[in-house]
Amino acid sequence: MGQEEKIREGFLAAFGYLQDKITIQRSRRIFVTVDIEKFAEVFDFAVKKLGFSVLCVITGLDEGDRLTFIYHLDDGSGVMLNLKTGVSKERPVIKTVTEYFPSAEVYERELVDLLGAKVEGLLPGYRYPLPDGWPSGEYPLRKDWIPENKNG
Amino acid sequence: MTALFQILIFPGFLFLSVFGLVAEFVDRKLYARFQNRIGPPYFQPFADIIKLIAKEDLIPGEANPKMFRLTPLFALASTVTAFLYIPIWGTNSVYSFNGDLIVVLYLLMVPALAVFIGGWYSTSLYARIGSVRTVTQLFAYEVPLFMGVLSPALLANTWSLNEMAQFYSRNPWYSVFNLIGFGVSLVALLGKLEKVPFDIPEAETEIVAGSFVEYSGKLLAFFRLTFDIKMVVCASLLAVCFLPFGLKLNPAVVFLLFLVKVFCIVALISLARSVAARLRIDQMIRFCWKYLVPLALMQLFINLILKEILLK
Amino acid sequence: MAERDKFKIPVGPQHPSLKEPTSFSVALRGEEITGIDVRLGYNHRGIEKACEERTYIQDMYLIERICGICSHSHSTCFIQGVEEIAKIEVPKRALYIRTLVGELERIHSHLLWLGVAGHEIGFDTLLMYTWRDREIVMDVLALLTGNRVNYGINTIGGVRRDITREQMKEVTRAMDSLEERTKYYIKIASEETTIIKRLSGVGVLSKEDALRFCVVGPTARASGVDHDVRRDDPYAAYSEISFNVITDNHNDVYGRTVVRLKELMESYKIIRQLLEKLPEGPVSVKVPRKIPAGEVVSRYEAPRGEDLHYIKANGTDKPERVKVRAPTLANIQAVKHMLKNRLLADLPIVVAAIDPCFSCTDRLISVRGEDEETPGIMTWENLHSYSVEWYRKRGLDFSKLK
Repeated sequence: MGQEEKIREGFLAAFGYLQDKITIQRSRRIFVTVDIEKFAEVFDFAVKKLGFSVLCVITGLDEGDRLTFIYHLDDGSGVMLNLKTGVSKERPVIKTVTEYFPSAEVYERELVDLLGAKVEGLLPGYRYPLPDGWPSGEYPLRKDWIPENKNG
Repeated sequence: MTALFQILIFPGFLFLSVFGLVAEFVDRKLYARFQNRIGPPYFQPFADIIKLIAKEDLIPGEANPKMFRLTPLFALASTVTAFLYIPIWGTNSVYSFNGDLIVVLYLLMVPALAVFIGGWYSTSLYARIGSVRTVTQLFAYEVPLFMGVLSPALLANTWSLNEMAQFYSRNPWYSVFNLIGFGVSLVALLGKLEKVPFDIPEAETEIVAGSFVEYSGKLLAFFRLTFDIKMVVCASLLAVCFLPFGLKLNPAVVFLLFLVKVFCIVALISLARSVAARLRIDQMIRFCWKYLVPLALMQLFINLILKEILLK
Repeated sequence: MAERDKFKIPVGPQHPSLKEPTSFSVALRGEEITGIDVRLGYNHRGIEKACEERTYIQDMYLIERICGICSHSHSTCFIQGVEEIAKIEVPKRALYIRTLVGELERIHSHLLWLGVAGHEIGFDTLLMYTWRDREIVMDVLALLTGNRVNYGINTIGGVRRDITREQMKEVTRAMDSLEERTKYYIKIASEETTIIKRLSGVGVLSKEDALRFCVVGPTARASGVDHDVRRDDPYAAYSEISFNVITDNHNDVYGRTVVRLKELMESYKIIRQLLEKLPEGPVSVKVPRKIPAGEVVSRYEAPRGEDLHYIKANGTDKPERVKVRAPTLANIQAVKHMLKNRLLADLPIVVAAIDPCFSCTDRLISVRGEDEETPGIMTWENLHSYSVEWYRKRGLDFSKLK
């Protein structure tokens, strides 16, 4: 049994509802899809119990009427766990993970600026990466956002 | 009339400007060669000064314009004055009195204070930090420099540069005893001239250019010129105090020899700044008080004993 | 005291110690740093958005331009992700050439860093020496790829240029002379007092903090974190090459210097093995324009640390989403921590020690059109007429000059 299988077993032992939500894409790449309600406990379990102690980045995706967030976690030996969760665009609220990973601050600010996510618990600070004069309500990475000058 | 000639042309302002700029060229060229670069052409320092003089003077809105303009002049005037007391041909300087060594040392301190005041009054944050660093550093290098330069005078039993030169021209080999003092003074000089490893007050990568951040045009040109002149005046002082060789020859030859000595000291400065990294201000002060001052004290002590033995 | 704490100096967005725009607002008490605010985003160019509107091949060239130094890292990271989605078997020889260029890039980046570090601590001689030697590796890169930076050697499904026997000999010769020079720098770094004084004990990041802040690359390895994507998650030809992952437990800027210098020696070793083992065969395969739907996380050990790309394909010839995480973004948070209660004089070298690359980090401006909403932007004509007017007020007429 490879280490990926072990991780899968680990998840299933704790959270039965993840039965068909875990995909092992190839060696060292695991994708897990979690509902936003259950996300906090699964994330906590992955970080504290399964040893995924390095947060590489958080990717945000615009998928029509939903926003998907992927937390790319590493266990320090090259195995990458990609925790996926999604929220509706009407209420795009996620919780901050800065208490686990202080470096997540910039990744979360990026989600706020570029995709219009709301991050609960994120301390106030400078915005990133857009300038201060950027109009509110404009989120460049959303699919329906078109830059004013199409030529670049 | 002669006095005016001496002050303005030779060995005063004009001669010193050319001398200083040539020394800057020697310094820059050697520095470049040590770094495996080609280096500037001989007219580069002159071109730089001419270019700066042609540029517009900008004075920050919040700065005190009077002080801002006057400080470069104070600095320049005091360094040029200091040179008049230094014997450059044989053992005679333009002016001399007993105690001129102390006056020269004090006059050479004025530029640092002028930089402090100029930087402070320019109200820039970088300039303020640079100014404070200039003064902090002053307290570190002045003491060893004073003790280093005064020790040969102690041996010669005079406070006059002329009489000191006469003493050493009678007994040139006595200067060998002052080698420690020479080393100490040379290192302290790096601090005085704000050269690497002691270029902390103008550390480009930290505080941009320190006190000079707001200076431009003619005023900056004056400061640049002051620093070049300060370099040759300080080097001359060291040459007179520590390298009193061949003073009995023909005055023209002595003068040429003097130039060679000054350029040798400039070359040593270039060498020092091409083999070291900039220290932090705390490290610099610790270094000065921990190593330079005890060494300078040792030199004074040696000279006191020698004086008893040799001159009795 | 409260009043004095407000003495804040700006370091950046434009500052001599920063080669790229970012902003540190440093609160000082005397020389001591009491607080520091980091502001990023001055180099946001909208690359991630732009990628969604271009084809994969166009994206590859765009992504190569995220950064001037580690351009090959980004483009390799991107295309190996695309190749994984499209399930393309890339010829062995192409993988070797990619790895070769990647390692040459690491050499040029580390030598560049060493020079910059020397400059930050006021040791310009080191800067001049290392950048002179860097020319050797730049020449080799130009010989192999035709360019000194932005090599453009990658293509989806392989590489665009093969290398010849003569070129291989040239590379070997360059490695010999660089190895000798690097040994000299290692000697300098371990003997020169002022360097050691300025670097050791500065920017300390303990192993625990390194793990907490999830730092990557030489910054992490200098704090004893044994992590290197080349070994842990091998890509390209690294699984067939033997090399050591350099770690160090100085935990400070000196350790980061040592790690980079030793990594240079490892790179020479890797390149020699690559040239020895270089298999024969084609250097590229044909790839369909349309990439099947799928998603992939691609990792690459760039000179500055782990580079990570997430690519999502939707079955067309354009990607659905490309996410780039450059190494600096992971490291910048730790800088704040490293500078707390340190001296102002340490700021440039501590910032430089993570080898920051803010262009990589920010990647993403959307210029809001050159309309009246953008005050302060002058066109060339405006600038020209302004200067003519300025001089005319002072009695000079330059209006005939063009």
